[in-house]
Amino acid sequence: MINPSNGMISTSSAAANAQSPGLKTYFKTPEGRYKLHYEKTHPSGLLHYAHGKTVTQVTIANLKDKPAPSTPPAPPSSFSASSGVRSAAARLLGAGNGSRALGFVGGNGGSKSLSGSSRIGSLGASSSSSSMINTNFDGKGTYIIFNVGDAIFISDLNSQDKDPIKSIHFSNSNPVCHAFDQDAKDGHDLLIGLNSGDVYSVSLRQQLQDVGKKLVGAHHYNKDGSVNNGRCASIAWVPGGDGAFVVAHADGNLYVYEKSKDGAGDSSFPVIKDQTQFTVAHARYSKSNPIARWHICQGPINSIAFSTDGTHLAIVGRDGYLRVFDYSKEQLICGGKSYYGALLCCAWSMDGKYILTGGEDDLVQVWSMEDRKVVAWGEGHNSWVSGVAFDSYWSSPNSDGTGETVMYRFGSVGQDTRLLLWDLEMDEIVVPLRRGPPGGSPTFSTGSQSAHWDNVPVGTLQPAPSMRDVPKLSPLVAHRIHTEPLSGVIFTQESVLSVCREGHIKIWMRPGFSESQSGNNPDTLLSTSSKEKPLLSSKVGSSSYRQ
Amino acid sequence: MGAAGSKLEKALGDQFPEGERYFGLENFGNTCYCNSVLQALYFCVPFREQLLEYYANNKNIGDAEENLLTCLADLFTQISSQKKKTGVIAPKRFVQRLKKQNELFRSYMHQDAHEFLNFLLNELVDILEKEAQAAKSDPETSSPTEKTANGPKNGQLNGVRKEPLVTWVHKNFQGILTNETKCLRCETVTARDETFFDLSLDIEQNSSITSCLKNFSSTETLNAEDKFFCDKCCSLQEAQKRMKIKKPPHILVIHLKRFKYIEQLGRYKKLSYRVVFPLELKLSNTVEDADIEYSLFAVVVHVGSGPNHGHYVSLVKSHNHWLFFDDENVEMIDESAVQTFFGSAQEYSSNTDHGYILFYESLGASNKS
Repeated sequence: MINPSNGMISTSSAAANAQSPGLKTYFKTPEGRYKLHYEKTHPSGLLHYAHGKTVTQVTIANLKDKPAPSTPPAPPSSFSASSGVRSAAARLLGAGNGSRALGFVGGNGGSKSLSGSSRIGSLGASSSSSSMINTNFDGKGTYIIFNVGDAIFISDLNSQDKDPIKSIHFSNSNPVCHAFDQDAKDGHDLLIGLNSGDVYSVSLRQQLQDVGKKLVGAHHYNKDGSVNNGRCASIAWVPGGDGAFVVAHADGNLYVYEKSKDGAGDSSFPVIKDQTQFTVAHARYSKSNPIARWHICQGPINSIAFSTDGTHLAIVGRDGYLRVFDYSKEQLICGGKSYYGALLCCAWSMDGKYILTGGEDDLVQVWSMEDRKVVAWGEGHNSWVSGVAFDSYWSSPNSDGTGETVMYRFGSVGQDTRLLLWDLEMDEIVVPLRRGPPGGSPTFSTGSQSAHWDNVPVGTLQPAPSMRDVPKLSPLVAHRIHTEPLSGVIFTQESVLSVCREGHIKIWMRPGFSESQSGNNPDTLLSTSSKEKPLLSSKVGSSSYRQ
Repeated sequence: MGAAGSKLEKALGDQFPEGERYFGLENFGNTCYCNSVLQALYFCVPFREQLLEYYANNKNIGDAEENLLTCLADLFTQISSQKKKTGVIAPKRFVQRLKKQNELFRSYMHQDAHEFLNFLLNELVDILEKEAQAAKSDPETSSPTEKTANGPKNGQLNGVRKEPLVTWVHKNFQGILTNETKCLRCETVTARDETFFDLSLDIEQNSSITSCLKNFSSTETLNAEDKFFCDKCCSLQEAQKRMKIKKPPHILVIHLKRFKYIEQLGRYKKLSYRVVFPLELKLSNTVEDADIEYSLFAVVVHVGSGPNHGHYVSLVKSHNHWLFFDDENVEMIDESAVQTFFGSAQEYSSNTDHGYILFYESLGASNKS
C-alpha cells in the first residue's frame, strides 16, 4: 500500500507540509501575521519501523560566542585528529579517569562490560571520519536539537536549510528527551535521555565540532538502566543548580544527578514501600550518582518543569495530577487533578505565579500558585493538549507599568494539529465567572465553593474540579498549522516554534520580525506589522526556551 | 497454544488475579468479529457476574430451550470454571446458535463487530423480556428477572402497567438521550427521549473522543428543506436541535463510525483517522453537570484498510493489567500500547489497527444491581 502521495513513506524530506491542502504559510493574530519562516526536519529515508514509537521533542540551544574548545577540564587537544577519539572513549567510561572507569566496568558483570566495550568499538570504527573537524562550525549561534527515531538532530535555527547540520545516532536505544543549559559553567550543557532509561551529558559545542555520527565526549549515567530502566520521560537542568539535573522516568521516579560527580556510581535506593506515597531517598555515598531518588507517583511521569528561579518543580503524569514541589526543601507544596485523564505537559510563567498544564481532557489548565488551585480552563482544542508555553516575550498593548491588569499571553498545541493562542487577563479571572447549569440551580452557591478553596493545607492535592466551578477561557486564535499531531511549542524572541510528533518543525516569525529577516516575500507582509510595538522590550530568559 | 498460555501465566507471575481466567477463543472462519466482542463482554465484570448469576439461577428451571442467552451464559460459565488459568476455548455452540438466529452472520464474510454487539444485546433483552412475560403468566415459576422487572414491555397486554421492563442488561448498558428541539419562532422546547445501548459517533481526523462527543451534542439548525413541525405554531418552523445525555449508562459503549459510505465512490470506505481516546473520560454533554468519571476497560480493534475485509482483535483491562486478545492468542501488553490503536494521522499508513468500539465503565458503582 505504498502510495506516492503519502508523506510518511515518500522519500522527499519534510513531506512538503507547507503545500498540504488547507495549510497556510502564515497565521493571523490581533497583533499581525505570524509568517512561516523556516521549516526544519530530519533527512529523508530515515523512517523505519521503530520511528512511530518515539515522539519528537525540541530544545533550543543558544551557544554564546566562546572560543573553542569550550571544555576546560577536558583532556588536552580533544578535538585534534585521532586523539579525540581516544579521549572520547576514555571519557565515556568515566570522566577521563581510565583506571577507575575500567574497574567499574569489570565490577558490573559480563553483560555490562560487553556493552561498554562495544561502545568503544563503535567509536573506534568511526575514527576515520571523526578525525576531521567540522570547519563550518563557527562556535556560536542558536541551534535546535530534536529527536527522531534512533537519532538526535541539530539544526541551525537561523538558516534556511531544512536539513539538520548534524545527526547523532544511538545504537542502544532511542533518544526521547533532552535539555540544554544556557549557563553551563563547564563544557557539558546538553542532556539526552533514552527510552532505555540511559542518560548522557555532553558538550553541544563538541558535538558540532565533530563530524561523526556518534556522541563524543559523553558522560553516561544510569548505564543500561542499572539504576532505573524506565523510559526517560523528561529531563531538566536545575536552574542555578551548579550542574545538577533531574531525570524523570516512566515508572514515577525522578533522580537527581550532579554532573561534577562520577557518572559511574553505584547508587542504590531502598525499595519503595508504598507506591502511592511521595518519598525522597538520598544516596548512601556522597560520591555516587544519582544523589537522590524522588518517588513521585504510581505510574508514568509525563513532563516536568522548573520555575525560572529553580525554587519550584512542577510534575505532571499519567495519574492526571499536577504536583508542585519546593525543590530545595524536597517538599510537595500543592497540586491538583485534571478534569479527567492524564496530564501531558506543563510550563511556568516567567514570574513563577502560574503553571499551564495540558492533557487528555483537551483542556489547557491554568494553575495559580497563589491560590493553589485551578483558576481557568482553556477550551478550544479538539484533541489532547500536548504542548503549552507562556510567551514571555509578549507584552500587552496596555502594560505600560501603570495599568492594574496583568496580562499573560500563552500558547498551546495539540494532537488536533493546531496552535492556539490565549490571553489571560488576571482581572477577569480573580472573580470566577461561574457558569451555572442551564436554567440555573437555586441550590448552587458561589460563596461556599470559594470558601472551600481557601487556606488549603500545604501538600494537599486537589480533586478534579467540577466543570461548572472553573472559569473558562476561549482562545484568541486557533490555527491548523501542521498535518501531523503536534508535540510541542516554544516561544523565542523572534518567533514561535511548533513541532509535530513525526519530527517536522516550523518556525513562525512574529509580526514585525519577518519583514527584516525574510526578504524573499515582502509583498505578503502586512503593512500594520511595522507599526506594532517592538517586542524586544520584554525580558529575556534562558529558561523560557524550554517548553 | 498451551505454550502461549503458560507464557502469559509466566508474564503475570504471582500477579495472576485470583480466580480470573484468560482464554483465547477459536476462530471458525471469520468469526473474529464475534470473538473480539465476546472478550470485551466477558471482561465487563458487572455484565459477566449478572449473566453467571442468571445462569446459576435458571439452569435447573426445566430444560429451557437453547437461545443466544443460554449459549452466552454457557460459554462464560465454561471459561470461568476452567481448571487452567489460560488456554483456548471453542465458542462452538454460541457461534452455531448465532448463525441459526440471524442469516446476516451465517456467511463466512467479514462481519461488522458493532452490528454483532448491537444484535446480541437486543437479542438478550428480547429473551429476558419474553421470559419475564412467561413468568408473569405462570406465577408458579419464579424468575430472577422478576426482581428487577417493573412490568412487561407491552404494558397493554395486562392493561395495567406501562413501564418498560428493565432487565439487568438494561441496567448495565442502557442510557437515555434527550433530543431537544427549540422552535425558533415560539421558542418552545420539545424534548423527546430515546434509549441507547451505545453511542455511534461521527469521527474527524486528528480529534479526540471528547471532541467527537461534543460534536454529537452540538446544536444543529433545522431550516430550509429540513424544517421542524412545531406543535404550538402548528406549522413548519426553523428550529435548533441538540442531543444530550439525560441518563448516562453504567457501561458506556462508544462506536466510532469508521465505515462511511462515500457517495462519489458508491461504496463504503474505512476511515483510518487518528481519534485519541483517554483511559478516563467524563461526559460533558449531559443534561445535568454530572461529572461522572468513566474508565476504559475494553477496546474492539478493527485491523485492515477496508470495510469488507480485515480482522478484529480486542484489548481488555483486567485487574489493572492490559491484555491483547487475538482469537486463540492472549498476550499481556503495556498500558502505553493502547495508544498504538488510535489510528493514523496520514491517510495511507502501514498502521491499520484502529480502535472501533470502546467500552467504558462508570467509576461510581451506583448502577450495579
